[in-house]
Amino acid sequence: MKLQTKVSLLIAGIFAVVLGWLLAAAGRDDEPDAPPGSSAANERIVREDSHVLGEEGSSEVVLVEFLDFECEGCRAAYPIVEGLREEYAGQVTFVARYFPLPGHFNAERAARAVESAARQGEFEAMYQRMFETQAQWGEQQTPADDLFRQYAVDLGLDMEQYDSDYASKEVADRVQRDVDDGLALGVQGTPTFFLNGERFEPSSVQDFNTAIDAALAE
Amino acid sequence: MLSPGRQAMQDRALAWLLLIAGIVGFIASFVLVVEKLALLADDGYVPSCSLNPVLNCGSIMRTEQAEVFGFPNPLIGVAGFPVLATTGAVLLAGVRPQRWFWLGLQLGVTFGIAFVGWLVFQSLYRIGALCPYCMVVWAVVIPVFWYVSLRNASTAVLGKRVADSAVVKVLREWQAVVLTAVVVTLLGLIAQRFWLYWTTLI
Repeated sequence: MKLQTKVSLLIAGIFAVVLGWLLAAAGRDDEPDAPPGSSAANERIVREDSHVLGEEGSSEVVLVEFLDFECEGCRAAYPIVEGLREEYAGQVTFVARYFPLPGHFNAERAARAVESAARQGEFEAMYQRMFETQAQWGEQQTPADDLFRQYAVDLGLDMEQYDSDYASKEVADRVQRDVDDGLALGVQGTPTFFLNGERFEPSSVQDFNTAIDAALAE
Repeated sequence: MLSPGRQAMQDRALAWLLLIAGIVGFIASFVLVVEKLALLADDGYVPSCSLNPVLNCGSIMRTEQAEVFGFPNPLIGVAGFPVLATTGAVLLAGVRPQRWFWLGLQLGVTFGIAFVGWLVFQSLYRIGALCPYCMVVWAVVIPVFWYVSLRNASTAVLGKRVADSAVVKVLREWQAVVLTAVVVTLLGLIAQRFWLYWTTLI
């Protein structure tokens, strides 16, 4: 074999090995640090500062959703979750966690806008607004900061506070903490649901009802 | 300069490269045009290559960068790649083009690589998504540019001084290493840019 061919193969080989090794290392990190069911996992699924949609339910049943405001699957799940919230109002606690995906240009911005609104007590309103208007701003590659700011104006937020929150590291870190929790729990995409600490993959509205009813009956 | 015999052998290899790359590039461009038409007809259409947030032509096709010259970019490929394929076929048929033909080809592939370079940058750092068919185009344009340029540089198409220069001689000897380095760098950038996403796949 010619020297040049050897060098080419060597470069390609080293690249493949290094990449594989890095991926494997990242994959190990990705293993749920907290196996489902453990108290460490439960702590990560719902933090003290995690946002509850509406009122906490009277039962112990908690449905957590890791969501991305720009994800179409989450948009599709939104009316279902709203329906469930009505159906199980007062019984079940619904928690939303941020999980903006890197490929969605405005997802992280949307999460920061919602978190900024949350700091003025308007988490739910902003959360709903984001999903209801997703078609207007989703899948675009231009920053939607101005549009999100307008939503905040519409909600009558203190805009000086909103602007400073939206741009703050604190709010960005708060979103990132949710993402980190999600990654540690093995969340790979959105929406990902946890029902009473167990990962749960519904494929229909009926699945939600069955699982929640079972959990309530326990 | 190479001996006539070796040059003929290398030209033959280049002809095969042009033929295959031309066909592959054409198929990718053609599919992109068809997907674009489907997207125009139905705004809710999800292109076959929109697999997830990162591998997604749908979001790319909607950007301004997808129509830099006022029309969809893949139209350039639909027109340009058949020229490459035909050139390959004609060379294999034994035609020995004049210098001006090689210069024209050089002009075309130079435009191609410049455009691909820009698109890679836009895709990775401005749009933040990858489009699989576009990456097929990147993958064929890079070696085509490299080997056409190398051929023209070493056969005095770009001037006798260039052909006799030490730089060209070294580049010719190390052609495979240069190409490997470029491809590995590109793959490295792609891996780095979407690292979080790749790691969620395991």
